[in-house]
Amino acid sequence: MNRRHSLNRTRLLTSLALLAVAGSVSGAALTDADEIVAQANLASYYPGVDGRAEVRMRIMDAQGREQRRQFTILRRNVAAGGDQNFLVVFSRPSDVRGTVYLVKKHIAREDDRWLYLPGLDLVKRISAGDKRTSFVGADYFYEDVSGRDPAEDKHELIDTTDEYYVLKHVPLDSSSVEFASYVTWIDRNTLLPMKIEYTNGSGNVYRRIEVQQVEAVQGYPTVAKSRVSNLETGGYTDMQFGFVGYDIGLPDDVFTERSLRNPPQQWLERPAQ
Amino acid sequence: MKRTITEIATTRPVLVFWVTALLTLGAAALIPLIHIDTDPENMLAEDQADRMFHNAVEQRFTLHDAIVVGIVNETNPRGIFNAASLSALHELSNSILEIEGVIRPDLMSLAIADNITQGQPGEIRFEWLMKDAPATAAQADYIREAVARLPLLQNTLVSGDGKAAAIYVPIKSKELSYPISREIGALTDSLGGDDAYHVTGLPVAEDTFGVEMFVQMGISAPLAGLMIFLLMWYFFRSWKLIIAPMIVAMATVIITMGVLIGMGFTVHIMSSMIPIFLMPIAVVDSVHIMSEFADRYTAEQGAEATIREVVGHLFTPMLFTSLTSAVGFLSLMLTPIPPVQVFGAFVAGGILLAFLLTIIFIPAYVVRMKPASLASLPRHGEQAEQPASPLARGLRVLGRFAFGHSKLIIFATVVLMAISVAGVLQIQINDNPVRWFKEQHRIRVADRVLNEHFAGTYDAFLVLEHDSESVYDALSADSQTDIAALDATGFDTGEIRAQLAAARSAAALNELISTIDDELFAADDDAAIDALDSLLARVESTQSASRYFQRPDALAVIEQLQTALQESGLVGKSNALPDVVKVVNRELRGGDDANYTIPASVPAVAQTLLQYQSSHRPQDLWHMVTPDFSSTAIWLQLTSGDNQDMSRVIAAVDDYLADNPLPPNVTARWAGKTFINVVWQNAMVEGMVWSLVGAFGAVFVMMATLFRSVRFGLIAMLPLSTTILAVYGLIGWIGKDYDMPIAVLSSLTLGLSVDFAIHFIQRMRTLTQETGSFSAAAVLMFEEPARAISRNAIVIALGFTPLFFAPLVPYITVGAFMASIMAISGSATLLLLPAVLGWALKKENQDEPTTLA
Repeated sequence: MNRRHSLNRTRLLTSLALLAVAGSVSGAALTDADEIVAQANLASYYPGVDGRAEVRMRIMDAQGREQRRQFTILRRNVAAGGDQNFLVVFSRPSDVRGTVYLVKKHIAREDDRWLYLPGLDLVKRISAGDKRTSFVGADYFYEDVSGRDPAEDKHELIDTTDEYYVLKHVPLDSSSVEFASYVTWIDRNTLLPMKIEYTNGSGNVYRRIEVQQVEAVQGYPTVAKSRVSNLETGGYTDMQFGFVGYDIGLPDDVFTERSLRNPPQQWLERPAQ
Repeated sequence: MKRTITEIATTRPVLVFWVTALLTLGAAALIPLIHIDTDPENMLAEDQADRMFHNAVEQRFTLHDAIVVGIVNETNPRGIFNAASLSALHELSNSILEIEGVIRPDLMSLAIADNITQGQPGEIRFEWLMKDAPATAAQADYIREAVARLPLLQNTLVSGDGKAAAIYVPIKSKELSYPISREIGALTDSLGGDDAYHVTGLPVAEDTFGVEMFVQMGISAPLAGLMIFLLMWYFFRSWKLIIAPMIVAMATVIITMGVLIGMGFTVHIMSSMIPIFLMPIAVVDSVHIMSEFADRYTAEQGAEATIREVVGHLFTPMLFTSLTSAVGFLSLMLTPIPPVQVFGAFVAGGILLAFLLTIIFIPAYVVRMKPASLASLPRHGEQAEQPASPLARGLRVLGRFAFGHSKLIIFATVVLMAISVAGVLQIQINDNPVRWFKEQHRIRVADRVLNEHFAGTYDAFLVLEHDSESVYDALSADSQTDIAALDATGFDTGEIRAQLAAARSAAALNELISTIDDELFAADDDAAIDALDSLLARVESTQSASRYFQRPDALAVIEQLQTALQESGLVGKSNALPDVVKVVNRELRGGDDANYTIPASVPAVAQTLLQYQSSHRPQDLWHMVTPDFSSTAIWLQLTSGDNQDMSRVIAAVDDYLADNPLPPNVTARWAGKTFINVVWQNAMVEGMVWSLVGAFGAVFVMMATLFRSVRFGLIAMLPLSTTILAVYGLIGWIGKDYDMPIAVLSSLTLGLSVDFAIHFIQRMRTLTQETGSFSAAAVLMFEEPARAISRNAIVIALGFTPLFFAPLVPYITVGAFMASIMAISGSATLLLLPAVLGWALKKENQDEPTTLA
């Protein structure tokens, strides 16, 4: 076995598992845009009661110069489709190792966010004017990682192909976002958005998120690889998810300020194979 | 050879007309392919080291040429920080972002700047500085206070006096500069209020410059043609006589420019002056021929025989004057400035072409003239300049004086030269392409206004680079123990070894770290895990060490250099990585100014930067440092683009670095347009020295050959030497900066003054031989020959006067100095040459020499 590809070692099982997932979804096409979005939101951000994943990010600029980030995300839903807690613990590069974000995501109000910087031995609360800021220098936004509240957009089903529901989303409050609209291609089987294109005020697509690989983990279709491209800078960020697990029994107290200075090693370690 | 040429010309005139016409039309057809080049960078060859580095730096730090929009409010007591002005700025910024061709992510404006502040107690807040336009004075005040705490914006996006704001609009290509600045102009026009708007920046300046170059070529050059035509009309009073020289001049200009464009050369500020240089030079020779032809023509002898006699007579002096003028301009090829080289080569080529056209076309033209027309040509004595004209009388007095007061003239010349040398020593070498626009030009006005308010709109970058080779070397040496330990466990180290050997870049280290991480997960032997852990730690510390400009001590070096630059008073402002780190550190630690410091450890700096990157504009970081932190740029803002000012900054940095050496493996190098201007300016000054020396030598050899006498060769060099010295002395005394147009004047002087000397000495020798008496020749010399020389000087001097109406300063400079050059070299020829000749002969006790040899 080529050990370097350990992150992808479940690939062989993927197609079978995906078939199983596909079989569980009813064959009839959904027609209600809000319903599709709600299901896509659940499929993308809420599988299981809780979950963990190890993420490697490769941030490439237009000149092919890269930065990398490696971190572990722990997540626990407070309510399906509702509030969630996240703990993000950085392991690489080594200079930022131990940097921790704690996020209590809320629907219809500001998230609570904390930050711990070990180099400055500093815990800070973070408040942000909006959620469309870069996530640690990547082309992903904070909102791409935590999920955008479906209630913030008006959704329209513009096409249903054999594979995808194609939806157009227009923000209700355009002042809080940099896009004029976006279009998603949602897989009819997995309900995962496989492609999202953002259009600016000039009518140009300037940003694109593509899911490049989906694997079934514990029966949940899970994004294994995705890429966001900034068509204006020519840069892109690849995100690779490994060691994904769901319903691992994360206790609530993992998501407290105590975890900032003392990350819960027990839950951060890679699960035994 | 000259016989054959004239024979063909006189026997096949129609063929000559056809060939001339076809060549001219063919070349004219190439002219629409014209490509104007106004990029000052092109003053340096594409592979010039500093230029290549500058371009590498622009790419490395994603720097673009930008249109600068300045918004100034002089009336409101709050300056620009009032709700109306900021709203206008907000609206304008957002509209500009929608313009096609604007590089949106790198546009800089208050309206899309990020702010980092204190929120609730213990909270840090990230937000747009001005997401919405402020509606109240309090909101505008809030923005002023916020900007005051953001040193990267203060005095860059808002002026220190609070009266002006700037938007930097990077554009995708220079070609878009015109339409985009037009659109911006339309936007600012539609905004009301009491704000004044200025649209400038290098792309706009270049674009405007290109347009005005066209104006120059389209108006000033034809005007020069008209001027020459009128002057010749005044001197000769015959359409038929002067139409031929005009045709020669036109054909010369069109063919030269057509060939230049057809060969793929761009038309630069220098080459745009070629037509106006060639026109007066081209007519001079044909005027000589036509004039002498008219004098000698008799119906009995016939046109063909007369013209052959005239061409035979004038061939040698015309060949030599053309060759020496051409050499003067060709010497510009010795400068390392490509546009100057092209200019020199094509003016030289044009001069030789004019010579050929003169000896071919003019005879052909003459033999096709109708006998009636020939008969009506103005004879000697019928021209405006009759022997009794004021010019003629003046010249006679001048001649008597020159031959009679040798010592006085020589003494006066020596004194004048001494004064000139003193002037030359005072010459200030300085240039600034913005100054090529007139004082009242909107770009000069914008330049002045914006630099009054801001820390400067001129950019220079001091780029620091760290060489990580030793860091990588240490890794490959130190890692051997871990590899050995791994080998001992039976672990397959092939992949790691291969990657370790290649681990000499940031990307390779990243890859190696991922690989070891994966291997660690797969390993189950404790010893192997320990060895892998050890190796991983080593590689990670190598990675950290290679990110040199993340180190607090490295940032401190930059910070101290910035402080020194600020204290020197030569720099408006500097922006660099420590500024970012200090602002974020201050806000992370509660916002107290005491914490406006560089954190103490590498992780602290790295984590501070990670927060900066979590903004709306993470890409901004890479304008200051490379993603691998091996190179960083200190962006200097200067209020002046003058080379002298930039040179002072360079000298100050050199001094500082001599006293405070950079750490080992760190080097500093300059980039930026303002620096590039200094480079080509210096290259030109040095190049001009060689150009002058080369041309001097070549012309002297030609003179000595022509006169078959070293002594006469030296005497012939006198007028041009004194003229060059006097002109540059004058420049030094009146305090005109030595810039590019001034630099090329020396070759122009050399090429033109030597003509007068050749004609003078040649005629003087012939006359002495003919009359058998030096004194008799001296009197005759100040008849027709002196008149011809004066006439040519006047034609050339006045031929350049349309340049006074040119829209750009370099053209005006050339026009103004042309008149003085002609006056000085004309006087030097008519005063100094007779004085020196008379003195030299008397010294040899040849009171009445019968030959000049």
